[in-house]
Amino acid sequence: MASQAVAHEAEHHAPPPNVDADVVTRELIATTTGASGRFKAWTWGLGILSVVGIVALILKFIDQGDDSTKWGYVAALVSFLLSVTGGAPMVAMAPVMAKANWVRPITRIAALFSFAGVATIIMLIPLVAILPPLVTEGARRRTVWYMAPDYSPHFWTTLSLVLLLITGIALFYSAALPDFASMRDHSTGWRQRLGKRLARGWVGTDVQWRTLRMRIGMFGSFYFLILVFVNFLVSTDFGQSMVPGWRDAIFPMYHTVSGFQAGVAGVVIALYFSRKYMKLEKYIHLDAFWSLGRLLFALTLLWIYFFYSSFIVFWYGRSENDIATLDLLIKGPMIYAFFAGMILLWFVPWWILIWNKVRRGTAMMVVGSFVILIGLLIDRIRTFVPAWSVPGDQIHQKWLKVIPETVWPDIFDILIMAGGISLVAFIVMMMTRVIPVLSVWQVQEFNLLAKPIRYMKGHATLVAKPD
Amino acid sequence: MRKSILGLFQQPEPAADAMDGLKEAGFELGTFDVLTGTPYPEGAFGEHVPQHRLFRYPAFGAIIGFTLAVFLTSVTQLAYPLVTGGKPILSIFAMLIIMYEMTMLAGVIATVIGIVIESRLPNMQPGIYDTRITEGWIGVVITFDDESKVADAESVLNKAGALEIKHA
Amino acid sequence: MQQRRELDQVYTNRKLLNGQLDTPKWWLPTVSILGVVVLIGVVVIATMINKGLGVTGLARPVYWGLFITTFVFWVGISHAGIMISAILRLTQAEWRRPVTRAAELLTVFSLLTALVFPLIHAGRPWRIAYWIMPYDISRGIYPNIRSPLIMDPVAISTYLTGSTLFLYIALLPDLGNLRDRTTGWKNAMYTVLSLGWRGNPRQWKMQTVGGILLSALMLPIFVSVHSIVSWDFAVAAAVEGWHSTIFAPYFVIGAVHSGVSAVVTMMALMRWLWKWDDFIRPEHFDALARLLIVVATGWLAFTFLELTFALYGQDAPEIALREMQMFQWPWNALFIIFFLTAYAIPVPMWLFKRVRTNIALMFWTSILVNIGMWLERFLIIVPGLARRTPFVYTWEAYRPSAVEWTIFIWSFAWVTFLMLLFSKFFPLVPLFEQKESQVFTEDVMIGRAKIPAIIREAD
Repeated sequence: MASQAVAHEAEHHAPPPNVDADVVTRELIATTTGASGRFKAWTWGLGILSVVGIVALILKFIDQGDDSTKWGYVAALVSFLLSVTGGAPMVAMAPVMAKANWVRPITRIAALFSFAGVATIIMLIPLVAILPPLVTEGARRRTVWYMAPDYSPHFWTTLSLVLLLITGIALFYSAALPDFASMRDHSTGWRQRLGKRLARGWVGTDVQWRTLRMRIGMFGSFYFLILVFVNFLVSTDFGQSMVPGWRDAIFPMYHTVSGFQAGVAGVVIALYFSRKYMKLEKYIHLDAFWSLGRLLFALTLLWIYFFYSSFIVFWYGRSENDIATLDLLIKGPMIYAFFAGMILLWFVPWWILIWNKVRRGTAMMVVGSFVILIGLLIDRIRTFVPAWSVPGDQIHQKWLKVIPETVWPDIFDILIMAGGISLVAFIVMMMTRVIPVLSVWQVQEFNLLAKPIRYMKGHATLVAKPD
Repeated sequence: MRKSILGLFQQPEPAADAMDGLKEAGFELGTFDVLTGTPYPEGAFGEHVPQHRLFRYPAFGAIIGFTLAVFLTSVTQLAYPLVTGGKPILSIFAMLIIMYEMTMLAGVIATVIGIVIESRLPNMQPGIYDTRITEGWIGVVITFDDESKVADAESVLNKAGALEIKHA
Repeated sequence: MQQRRELDQVYTNRKLLNGQLDTPKWWLPTVSILGVVVLIGVVVIATMINKGLGVTGLARPVYWGLFITTFVFWVGISHAGIMISAILRLTQAEWRRPVTRAAELLTVFSLLTALVFPLIHAGRPWRIAYWIMPYDISRGIYPNIRSPLIMDPVAISTYLTGSTLFLYIALLPDLGNLRDRTTGWKNAMYTVLSLGWRGNPRQWKMQTVGGILLSALMLPIFVSVHSIVSWDFAVAAAVEGWHSTIFAPYFVIGAVHSGVSAVVTMMALMRWLWKWDDFIRPEHFDALARLLIVVATGWLAFTFLELTFALYGQDAPEIALREMQMFQWPWNALFIIFFLTAYAIPVPMWLFKRVRTNIALMFWTSILVNIGMWLERFLIIVPGLARRTPFVYTWEAYRPSAVEWTIFIWSFAWVTFLMLLFSKFFPLVPLFEQKESQVFTEDVMIGRAKIPAIIREAD
């Protein structure tokens, strides 16, 4: 009987206790200073890789700037980076709109990714220069720009990406004001000066809080709309329209949804490392991983659904362009990438995340997230590399008549990809030196709204749901 | 049938006290249970948390459904090999859809069976009961192997404030 | 914000079981009138089967008309149930509670109705049955599983079976309740149906865990059903406007749009007819409307993609079809009505809280949505076929006949009739969910503000 009682106690863990507001402020602000040796080593390494990547990008442009068929890997990288850095901030937005309490402490870490959008834009620059104009050899290729001027994709995609970056930073900043004020009050040195400058006189009046919430809601909605639109433009202008006859209405949505998937995976990874190495277990509860795990699982299923929806229509269609499209993207030069992508993006994470035990922990969650990111990179390679490998003189044809050979990455591509990904990690890591990785005021709000209680003989959490 | 008694409470707290009292009086977990008209948070009455194997049912069902579907889709196509729309006789991508549906169907049916079995239903002789339980009253039911303990249980229930005690 | 008031369980029982324990005055007349309409519909269907499909307006090249449109429409409505009940259960949305049962019911009855249409549309229904299930070994003929027309019945019957079982499992505690409130043959019936429900922790745990598990299983089925319905069209390369990769999610999100709207319509009716003002409250409509804004806007994005990529290929036939759909009489009028009713009128209205909490307005806007969504299906199916293409030697303009319209009206009467019949024997609002919400919600004071809070179980 005693052992059963113990088992009973073990089944009902008390929820993690609340932390006092002043401790939250002190501890979270302290995370910005005093980086460990390991942290410094990693940032140095990633920084060097980033620089090498950018140098390789410049060299590649000098060397191969006149041949668009060699730029598939850079296009895939741009799409990948857009997915991760664009999708991550969305992760924080969607549950906020649904008023989920678990998401409050982790919105900051997701918002930090929007700064890494800089990496996407850097990688995009040469691509814009190389992207063929809409009209080649007097014929217009199939795009969403039916009658627009020749360089519309070049202009609008770049503009929308810049707009996304700005909105993302605005979203970050509008939610960071109270934290800058905390830094002004409790930090030292340049961080204090920065806090003072950026807090813009925040003292936390009722009006200030109201405007803050309104701003977050507004920029959040804008961000979402722009993100969907950017995905639409990048996936069609830099992917689909490069292949004659590839008409896949779901592709922009596929691109967006897998972008969200990558975004969630990115947030999980960032969350895992900051929880572990900044000792934030008190603030990042397992509940957050559990909820993110379910979200990630749902998105993983959505990936296969979108993929199959598109595939089955081509497979049944059997018209010449249906067959050519399947050949190019799946059966032909990219067959290995296709299988690898499918296994890593869908099958393995699906099998990992289906277990509630996994979602309630951290270790396997982070493994699943890494697998998803690798899978997504391969999947982006599968779609963008063959798309760019179509010779420029064929892209205005009715459908693809000759399936190009597999294009393998050269040394530049490998360095650029390593550099681009490192740059994202580097920027996110550097940002954690500027502002606490968890939003101080939102952790406090989380504690205010969720209280561990005794419910009769059991434990429970009382979660308040304000308007 | 074994002897059992039912103590009725109007509020959950005294019922939870009664459950505690029964534990203290040395009644084995599993010989007493709480009956409510609405779900309460798990462990609210300090009750024995029921163990279940519900998660095995859908997996089991899914395997059966999938196997059946593989058989159905492949064997029938091979038995009547008529090429339509230029598709191969064993068109895996079309078969997958049927397999998916049948897997899910069998999974759902198995889950429903599992819910019924794991709820220990159907139970056409449910034993001692009171209709006021579905009106918000809480019932604490105790089953005895040893009838000499009935008085002990009654005193625990009375002490906790049972409004009524029924015997069966 | 949840404005809750304490309702004791005796009151909850009395109010929510008023359909079963005492019959409302309007019930018998309404059911009788609906019964007459249903009967007329059945007679018309029988006549049509006797005379053949010549009595409809279907003719070359439009072979799929009102029947198939209405089939897709009802399959769409059926997506309300699982959307509401599964997704909201999984996300632990508190406001789902009064909605779930009605939504699941709508799924079951609209699926039952939807199934009728392809069956009678075949002209000789007994043949279609034989064509889907000819598993007799002697002839050696088997269905062609490569055809979406076979996948479709498989998916729909999976969905129907699953939702019916789901509905039944969630009904168990309420059947136990009815057993406790009735006498005589009704008591005997509920005793058998409730399987001996008692309400111990094990049974409640199975209700919650099983509910979540079933939701998680039903969700992928729900997505697959309308996807497969969409593939009836999309895998056909022959009709421009159908062969689009976006059809599956486009149909699903459209179905959710129309289904959730139908739930709103039904909730308003339930509140008015059974006087359940205490249980179906303005905040529920508010939450549903907010959900609808998101769904409708998502649907609009898919509509945009569908149109964009129709023109993307710059193929002459595709452009001609879209021109016909949008700019040629009478399709242009239908298109305008479709766009106004499915999005342009209701969604901007829902942006205002005053509209979202006004039940009459919500009722009418939700009906508008369904007019629009029916037209959407009609505009996808009929113009695609009606466009004059080479190698078709005869064209008839498609004008649905009186027979088709009667059967169309019959379907609405039939669903309502089934609902009302159900309401005579089973509660339309889950009582135990309602009571659970009283247990699991509490007000907390944060400073001077009273904030509604939810108790989340620890684990």
